[in-house]
Amino acid sequence: MEVLNVEHINKRFDQIQAVNDVSFSIDTGTIYGLLGPNGAGKTTTIRMIMNIIAPDSGKISIFDQRMNDSLKSKIGYLPEERGVYPKMKLIDFLIFLGEIHDTPTSQAKTLARQWLSRFDLISMAESKVQELSKGNQQKLQLIGSFLHNPELLILDEPFSGLDPVNVDLVKEIILEFKKQGKAIILSTHMMDAAEKICDHVIMINKGKKVLDGPLDDVQQQYGHNSVLLEYGGDGSFIEQLPIIEESNNFGNFLEIRLKDGVDLNDLLKAILDKIRIFKVETRRSTLHEIFISLVKGGDSDA
Amino acid sequence: MHKVFAIIKREYKEAVYKKSFIILTLLMPILMIAFSVLPGLVILIKTQKQTKIHVIDMSHEIYAPLQKKLSADTLKSGQPRYLFTSLSVYPQQIDSVLSSEKKLIAAKKIDVLLYVPADVDSTLQVQFFARNVADFDLTSRFKNEISSIISTKRLIAAGIRPDLVKKLTKHVKLNTFKISKSGKESKSGFLQEYFSTFIFIFFLYFTIIMYGAGIMRSIIQEKTSRIVETILSGTNAFQFMAGKIIGQGAVSLTQYFIWIIFGLGLLFAGSHYFPVSKQFMQLNPIIFLYFVVFFVLGYLLFSAMYAAVGSISNSDQEAQNASFPITISLIIPIILFSFIVKDPNNTLVRILSQIPIFSPIIMFARVNLANPPLWEILLSIGILILAIIFIIWIAAKIFRVGILMYGKRPTLPELLKWIRY
Repeated sequence: MEVLNVEHINKRFDQIQAVNDVSFSIDTGTIYGLLGPNGAGKTTTIRMIMNIIAPDSGKISIFDQRMNDSLKSKIGYLPEERGVYPKMKLIDFLIFLGEIHDTPTSQAKTLARQWLSRFDLISMAESKVQELSKGNQQKLQLIGSFLHNPELLILDEPFSGLDPVNVDLVKEIILEFKKQGKAIILSTHMMDAAEKICDHVIMINKGKKVLDGPLDDVQQQYGHNSVLLEYGGDGSFIEQLPIIEESNNFGNFLEIRLKDGVDLNDLLKAILDKIRIFKVETRRSTLHEIFISLVKGGDSDA
Repeated sequence: MHKVFAIIKREYKEAVYKKSFIILTLLMPILMIAFSVLPGLVILIKTQKQTKIHVIDMSHEIYAPLQKKLSADTLKSGQPRYLFTSLSVYPQQIDSVLSSEKKLIAAKKIDVLLYVPADVDSTLQVQFFARNVADFDLTSRFKNEISSIISTKRLIAAGIRPDLVKKLTKHVKLNTFKISKSGKESKSGFLQEYFSTFIFIFFLYFTIIMYGAGIMRSIIQEKTSRIVETILSGTNAFQFMAGKIIGQGAVSLTQYFIWIIFGLGLLFAGSHYFPVSKQFMQLNPIIFLYFVVFFVLGYLLFSAMYAAVGSISNSDQEAQNASFPITISLIIPIILFSFIVKDPNNTLVRILSQIPIFSPIIMFARVNLANPPLWEILLSIGILILAIIFIIWIAAKIFRVGILMYGKRPTLPELLKWIRY
């Protein structure tokens, strides 16, 4: 089911086109990675979704309703620039965040206690926020973003500043939300984390959407398959094959990048009779590599 | 509305538990005691004491009538206010007696020495020695009485009949009355008018600036702690600003409420133990109603302006500079106060009392001092309400953009663009 639909939004700040004709849609039960370098327009896009700033043109709908302030409570948002009220008690801070998202006070209190227990912070519930370490404040802010049980969760760099144990905890919770049928958008530039958890990838560069698709499709379409080959015999002809994009010869060991649309089978057919093969290994390119190649491509266009 | 209420609640709780709030709330009653009890106490101490007076009357014509006239003055206790002793001195002893008497004054054995030379008729010079010659009541009393004794004597010497002299030289007594709107008369003096009006106005000025600037500072804190975007994930900028303004306003009214309860208690106790203090702290319910109205309106106007300034500033220092024009427009009525007191119905004052940034203080001062026509008061309030709506509208527009801006402060043309946007 479609949760969010963004259609042709634009935003200009003085001389800079921060967001340029971006469209995408978000469905339930799916984790989306909103990826892009710093200054690509991710935060501006999210702020427009949250109705914090208005787009110059375009349309944003949540559950088929045009976005407005009354729909904010259906969304949980963890901004990249996070703050706290240092002098408030943890429990009061969470109740306050629940209240501004239309959660009744008593319910917010129960939920806050549950989540504090889950994140191992319950013993600090009556302490002031300023007494927490940076990492623990981060956990508190994360709880605050989904305390009101939203249908759509937008998390801007949710893993930054967390230790490995808590990164796993946050991942676990995100996957739980996915199972519950929530839609989740992770905005991040940490590609390896996105690769492990996202189902769908949307890449933005210089305000423009450059990529939008399920992770598998993206890796198939844009990822270049590398092949590592250990062999015996004269393999010099391999580098001359038309199906090879790029290769690196180390003597008895060859690293090959195949051309688009060519797979390992094609390569094997071409070399099987001519050399002895000791070992073949394929490797899909990472999101990071795809990202870098797309961003670099964008640069050469400009 | 639920969201605005959540913000109001948070603001209120945080402010009320702050040390500065508690200290100020407790400190003000102490100042109130000082203000209300001290003048009474001073007068009380003064009236309690008898004044010992030695008189050297070389003319032998002043002492008897002076003593007769002043013996009518009594203290609250019923004792005579002045204790006279006449010293008979030979002319050649004058200098030595004067110097020994002065020592008595310095040693506080007596309070006043009055030396009337033999030729007072022609020179019109009398010498008055005391530790405190600035006591206007005492010196003017003596001056008036001695003058009248001498002039009576001269008139009689000029052949006018004594009973006629008495009739002709009668003093005028000035009784001051204040006419209020309802036509009721109440005995009142300039000092009382000035005192209560100034205290009220000072409170207006002080609390508006304190709570307005308080909002500005708390917005800057929220900007530096980067909490703003988290709040905007649930509310919009207008709800956020409104919640802050109403929350701080509720804090200020709480503080007033505590002070008023205390003040009323003090007034009750004060009028019981120090009758004089009542004169200075007369509380008229109508005036008080106007005070609350002008405080609330003034607070709304200025807090919206301070909120806008806070939203475009990145540090307290920067905000202090940017809010300077606002602070000045609050100070101007205070500077003009003595001018307003002198002539509250002056055309300039009447015009200023209709201009929104001055009217909360100046119109309130006029209501207190001059009983301006009702239409003028209502017009002033009406203009003020329109101005508040307009200012809040503009402030909200600036706030909405400024609150998410970090780094440089926007220029005036940029601000105008935000407002038009």
